[in-house]
Amino acid sequence: MAAADSPSAALRRRDLCSRGIRLAGKMRSDVVDLLETYMERQGLDASASVAAVEGVPVAAVERWDEQTGTQRLLENLAAYRAFRALLAQMLEEQQEQLGEADAALGRALAAVLLQVSAFAYHLEELLRLESRGPPSEEGAGPPPPSHLGLFERKLRGLGVLRELAQWAVRSARDLRQLAKPSPGSSSAPSPAESP
Amino acid sequence: DSHIQYERVGADVTMKCGSMDWDAAVTWTANGTDIDESHLNGSYLILKNVDLTQSGQYSCYEGSSWHLKYQTYLRVGIPPKEPVLMCRSNNYPKGFYCSWHLPTPTYIPNSFNISVIHGTKEMVCEKDAFPKNRCHIRYVHLFSTVKYKVTLTVTNALGKNSTSLTFDEFAIVKPDPPESVVAKPVPNNPRRLEVSWQNPSSWPDPESFPLKFFLRYRPLILDQWQHVELSDGTSHTITDAYAGKEYIIQVAAKDNDIGTWSDWSVAVHATPWTEEPKHLTTEAQITETTSTSTSSFMPPPTTKICDKGAVVGSGAVAVCWTAGLVLAAYGVLFI
Repeated sequence: MAAADSPSAALRRRDLCSRGIRLAGKMRSDVVDLLETYMERQGLDASASVAAVEGVPVAAVERWDEQTGTQRLLENLAAYRAFRALLAQMLEEQQEQLGEADAALGRALAAVLLQVSAFAYHLEELLRLESRGPPSEEGAGPPPPSHLGLFERKLRGLGVLRELAQWAVRSARDLRQLAKPSPGSSSAPSPAESP
Repeated sequence: DSHIQYERVGADVTMKCGSMDWDAAVTWTANGTDIDESHLNGSYLILKNVDLTQSGQYSCYEGSSWHLKYQTYLRVGIPPKEPVLMCRSNNYPKGFYCSWHLPTPTYIPNSFNISVIHGTKEMVCEKDAFPKNRCHIRYVHLFSTVKYKVTLTVTNALGKNSTSLTFDEFAIVKPDPPESVVAKPVPNNPRRLEVSWQNPSSWPDPESFPLKFFLRYRPLILDQWQHVELSDGTSHTITDAYAGKEYIIQVAAKDNDIGTWSDWSVAVHATPWTEEPKHLTTEAQITETTSTSTSSFMPPPTTKICDKGAVVGSGAVAVCWTAGLVLAAYGVLFI
């Protein structure tokens, strides 16, 4: 354990990581259910392929095992802040488009949005423990939807939820890496496994 | 001049004797045995509707000099049918492997070419030394939603065929079965069995990518399995085993979050602990010594109280043995 890592901080980190892992697991399960509901309500097929959508954080990462703990937290936090804005936008659009006709979808979206917000807060807490503090939330929000037609908006929503499902899996893995008793999660990582 | 000639099963094959004229006198042999002239058209050898047994070395000799004029190795075979391809990641997140085979043999050499595309990027699948029909890929990206497309083409001298698989990173994750499964009775517990196992050695990082497990068990005499799903740990105590019955036990593994269950582990057998039947010797001795005792004595009715055909739990078994001992003790008092 690094000198800057007090026992209480290590315990707090482990506790936050465990709770974060459970939260990520629940979030993923709910996002998978939401995806099914969304595709059904929006008349989309599971095989629909969605190209990378502007403004949606992509979960795919190279050399994942070589990331430092701080890199993991920062990337996760940026992603979930973006998802928070994207889901809020989707909720607004869904209410405008379908209104009360589809309250179930609205409720499911709202529930996931709440979990995303909670997870983002969780990540901020972990970053405070790293003595970094979370970065400010300045920056461009999601692209304005006004130029997108209805079908394009549906596809973008599908893209958002699919990436969020991937992120939920990645986040659980990231937090497990963070929870490992390594000599300082912010410093250089332990040597990558030999292929 | 010797070379290999590949022909399809059922084909008609005509072999020329090198540069010899059609009307030259020649002798053909197949694997050293003369071929009857009825198969000749001039100096050409005609083989109609060839089958696999006609594979071999064919030689043509000039009539009088017996000079070897032409030699070929005929290989009769069939073009490849669509190959069977499967891809799996048993060492996530390191990578995945693909393996293939032909549903029916071709009887002639085949070559395989595999291509792996991730989005627009072509990846190299490194062929394994053993088994031959397998290659592996290291993941460059993790957590990608972009699908992988794997195309396998099999080619031989008579034709080619191919097949493709498209999948995403999570779908092909399937660990190997758990290893070193051990089941042991628990002393003084006739209904318990302690089961332990290890993560498959091919799973590289169980700490960051934990596995969950599925245990199934049944007594050999029954067909129905009991199932237990375990989200952590590599051991479990079965507490509802039937006393004295031999059990068969297996374990399967799955990544906690993604993919599918492994195959079942090797089965292990175990029987719960049972008490040594010492009292049977004791009762037999008492019965012999008291055979001439007073008529008020009743021999310990162990077989009458305890119905052997019934499936009993530990509590009921204890009552049977206890009744026997108590009555035996009363018998001793009357000697």
